[in-house]
Amino acid sequence: MIKNFKTLFSYRELLFSLTKKELKVKYRGSILGFFWSLLNPILTMLVYSFVFSIVMRGGIEQFAIFLICALLPFNFLSNSVNYGASSIISNSNLVNKIYFPREIIPLSIVFANLVNFFFELAALFIVLGIMGYKFYIYLYLLPVLIIIQFFLVVGMTLLVSALNVFFRDLQHLITIIMMVWFFGTPIIYPLSMVPERFQIFIKINPMTIYAAYYRNIFYYVKYQEGAGFPSTVETLTALGITLLIFFIGYFVFKRLDPRFAEEI
Amino acid sequence: MVKNKNKYKYSKDEIAVDIRSVSKKYRIHHEKIPSLKQTILKFRRTTYEEFMALSDVSFSVKHGETIGIIGPNGSGKSTLLKLIARIIQPTSGEVMINGSLSALLELGAGFHPDLTGRENIYINASILGMKKRDIDKKLGDIIRFSELERFIDTPVKNYSSGMYMRLGFSVAINVNPDILLVDEVLAVGDQAFQAKCYKVIYDFMKRGKTIIIVSHDLDTISDLCSSAIFLRDGKMIDMGKPLNIVAKYRAYIEELDKKRIIDQQSAERKKIFRTVIENNRKIINGVEITKLTNLIVSGETIKRFGSGDAEIQNIKLLDRKDKEVDFCRYGDNVKIVYEVLFKKRIEEPVFGIRIRDFKGNIVYGTNTRLNNIKTGNFKKDDLIKVIFSQKIPLIGGEYLVSPAVAYKDNITYCDWVNDMFTINIISRNIAEGIADLNPEISIKRVGT
Repeated sequence: MIKNFKTLFSYRELLFSLTKKELKVKYRGSILGFFWSLLNPILTMLVYSFVFSIVMRGGIEQFAIFLICALLPFNFLSNSVNYGASSIISNSNLVNKIYFPREIIPLSIVFANLVNFFFELAALFIVLGIMGYKFYIYLYLLPVLIIIQFFLVVGMTLLVSALNVFFRDLQHLITIIMMVWFFGTPIIYPLSMVPERFQIFIKINPMTIYAAYYRNIFYYVKYQEGAGFPSTVETLTALGITLLIFFIGYFVFKRLDPRFAEEI
Repeated sequence: MVKNKNKYKYSKDEIAVDIRSVSKKYRIHHEKIPSLKQTILKFRRTTYEEFMALSDVSFSVKHGETIGIIGPNGSGKSTLLKLIARIIQPTSGEVMINGSLSALLELGAGFHPDLTGRENIYINASILGMKKRDIDKKLGDIIRFSELERFIDTPVKNYSSGMYMRLGFSVAINVNPDILLVDEVLAVGDQAFQAKCYKVIYDFMKRGKTIIIVSHDLDTISDLCSSAIFLRDGKMIDMGKPLNIVAKYRAYIEELDKKRIIDQQSAERKKIFRTVIENNRKIINGVEITKLTNLIVSGETIKRFGSGDAEIQNIKLLDRKDKEVDFCRYGDNVKIVYEVLFKKRIEEPVFGIRIRDFKGNIVYGTNTRLNNIKTGNFKKDDLIKVIFSQKIPLIGGEYLVSPAVAYKDNITYCDWVNDMFTINIISRNIAEGIADLNPEISIKRVGT
């Protein structure tokens, strides 16, 4: 495994240029270009804010901020997984003709989405700054949090991209799974709204814990009364599940990747 | 200077590629991709056949060697290259690579249509294993070599396929690996660009690089390679001096061709005889020769015409020993023989043949009158043989023979059977036109 990581490291420039390509291709030909990646979450936020603070009136203060703090990290996961699923197949011309570590392909998707995520965060900082949030108090937690979530995203993306080569209908299933995951994570609602007996199921989901951290860093800084970081046990469980998913993803991918070229 | 450093990186005795009893088995699934549902329901019982793309192939290539791989389609050449390139894994055996390797299995693999030529150079070169710094340095060379200076900032979706390939090749040859795998990609662009590509390959060889090349162009193999491998049905038939191997392969192909020609021939002949029998019933009476030519030229409508006073039967081709054959080689002495059965008394008939190529061009035509041969008189029920002995110095291919019997006037016909017989000529020479002049070509210097 260490040897693999070394090889992977020697291909870092390829990873870099494929990530760049991914980003370039995404916005090539569209007039607003890169702004779409900011516009998308803003529009989602507006729709949800309208529904939950005007139509349904959940009684959450600054619902837009409440939502976006958890929405952005989740988008990082779901975009990576959704695009990653078909990544090996859509790069079949590369897989069939040139040797390089196959992980590079799904990883470039993850990195492209990570870059997007950074830009969205930067925009969020600006908005929070203007609104007078003291978002910088817990900011030192953010890099660690992102790195941990990154492992989860990589694990999931590797897993689905490898399996999808052999079971093509996974691609369609993924959309549904990600939707269920989205509603199973306290993003548009606070964790406290979940009935006590279901909380355990919600908390097993590492994204719940990470969403809580993100929210504590940005949103609860102003509304201290809601603050409260997940407990150590909860955090360690999330971390454990994340590492499990990462290793499963990695080993499944490594196990299947010699057969990619024959299968596509 | 970098080139010089690379030149002596490996000594000539070091092994660059070592293939040890490598086999590759493919599964041919009957349904292309099993769905999740099927796999769960049947649990790995999807039907498939196994196919040995390569069986027990062993050889090794030393640094600085250029190896050519030849073989018919489906013989496993591409599979072998993919194994060496590490794109697929062998089912059994081992592939050892010593040195950096670059594979030109497909030019411009991974080009993205929406990105410009320049952007694609960066991506493609890094996929092939180049560092950004090196690409920056080589960018000018790559663009210059591709001759695409004017279009380099245009998205490649607007490129012609030739431009696309040229860009792909330019990137690939600038990667500068120790071992280069080339799969049929030399057929890139126009003649001038091809010449450039060959020059690059020569340069590679001169710099002591190892090249493994797959090609159907046997002349390339004998020109470039230091040794060659002949693959057939996934097995290594032979390895050795390119000239010997190419000769062996040519002999194999010829044998194959002969079989094919004979098969085709017998089918063809059956067809012709069927038409002859059919048309026997509607023989047209004496038609003028000018009209006849038109009729023949205007198409296949008339297969046979004439009064029917004499009937052509049973045309065949005989070799030197009077054995019936289906084909002949350039320069063979052969006889075209047909029989004529007379239904009435005819004085001094004229016997002739005409040979056309498949396009309908008349290659040769002659008759007894033109050769001043007295044929004599024949009465009812006489059966005779007309024999034309000659060499047939034609370019290889199919030729159609039309025999004819005319009256003494040589204008009206007793019987003319159009394209009654097909001769297959096998020639070693590949040339334009119809006649095989088979020249000896020499070059003499007459000044400086």
